[in-house]
Amino acid sequence: MGAPAEQERKVYTVGAFNRGVARRLADLPTVWVEGEVTELRRHDNWAGVFLTLKDPETGACLPATMPRRSFDALALELADGDRVQCFGRPELFEPRGQLRMRILTIERAGLGAHLARLEALKRRLAAEGVFAAERKRPLPRLPRRIALVTGSDAAAKGDIVTAIRLRFPPARVLVAETAVQGPRAAAGIVATLEAVCGAPDVDVVIVARGGGSFEDLLPFSDEALVRAIAGCPVPIVSAVGHEQDTPLCDLAADVRASTPTAAARLVVPDVTELHERLARSRAALERGARRALERDGTRLERLHERLRRAPALLVERRRAAVERTGGRLVALSPRATLERGYAIVRRGEAILRDAAVLAPADLVEIELARGAFAARVEEASP
Amino acid sequence: MTAPQPSFEEAQAELERIVERLERGDAPLDEAISLWQRGEELYRLCLAKLDGAQGRIDELSREGLPPE
Repeated sequence: MGAPAEQERKVYTVGAFNRGVARRLADLPTVWVEGEVTELRRHDNWAGVFLTLKDPETGACLPATMPRRSFDALALELADGDRVQCFGRPELFEPRGQLRMRILTIERAGLGAHLARLEALKRRLAAEGVFAAERKRPLPRLPRRIALVTGSDAAAKGDIVTAIRLRFPPARVLVAETAVQGPRAAAGIVATLEAVCGAPDVDVVIVARGGGSFEDLLPFSDEALVRAIAGCPVPIVSAVGHEQDTPLCDLAADVRASTPTAAARLVVPDVTELHERLARSRAALERGARRALERDGTRLERLHERLRRAPALLVERRRAAVERTGGRLVALSPRATLERGYAIVRRGEAILRDAAVLAPADLVEIELARGAFAARVEEASP
Repeated sequence: MTAPQPSFEEAQAELERIVERLERGDAPLDEAISLWQRGEELYRLCLAKLDGAQGRIDELSREGLPPE
């Protein structure tokens, strides 16, 4: 029949009304709300951080707040426009009668969430040294057996196997197919990796997958898989990423290859080059051996020559020695003395040196350098 | 008892060392001859490893691996 008369109404104060509504709202459960960050306001000396969540489709807005310390602890580096999911409950800011959300935690949503998570994982693993250059091992030059872990698509598997066999026909390859996308892919790849590393003679592994979107490649940035690759007992090549994306497994492997041909080039040598090198060695071997023979032949010839001339040489040397002695002999002989003007005086057979033995009228023979004569002593003085 | 066969790389490395030695030319004749013989042997060994070995592609058996 009309509104009750003024004296009969229940009338609340604004404060009481707001308090009442606030209490009702407090009964509502915590929920997740997804939206775009707008009007993000944060100051070091404010106790709370404020933002407005916007529904990108309808434009509906919801003011929100979060204790600054909790917000900072998340370290999300949020900016206006970022898509997020907020967990919290509705509340009424009583002084203003304003509905807002009290946020307990925030997570990035959509692609951004993956990217951010990957960045964080990458930083953490890098800090641990999982990607360190010192950990990278060289690949064997001539592997006994190559293991290939790959998906079932032709590009990765077929192209790599073909490239390897073309480059090095005697290659032995062990192919292990496994799921390379989907939620269980990472665990499957880890198990397959373990299996091939345990197979006999495997001394290098290639992990490969064909092209794909960012989401398709996500399993190859899975933490357990990345650690398994880094800790693989056998040197490992990652042929997963392309120019745009670098999944974390590329960083953890010993080498990365961007194409199947590149992968083949890394794991096997070129058989043609090996043949050429062998042929060159063989030719050098023959040359070296022949030279050794020739050189020794020359040496032998020279020795033979010397041997032939040796007797003549010997005689020549002897003759020279004899001549030298002869010379000395001549110098020492009496002939030379006689030539110098001395005479040999004899009385009978004896050669005289002392005049005292002579008496006048003794007969003596005098030999000169040329000729001799007899003479009688007239007078002798000692 | 014969020594285990050297790997291709070991054989090739030894062959190239022998070639170097012969090219230096300071080996006496009988050593040069035996070096050359060993070199020929290594060459034949390397060639066999390149040409004689059969390439093989095997598939890993799926026993013991988690289902896809």
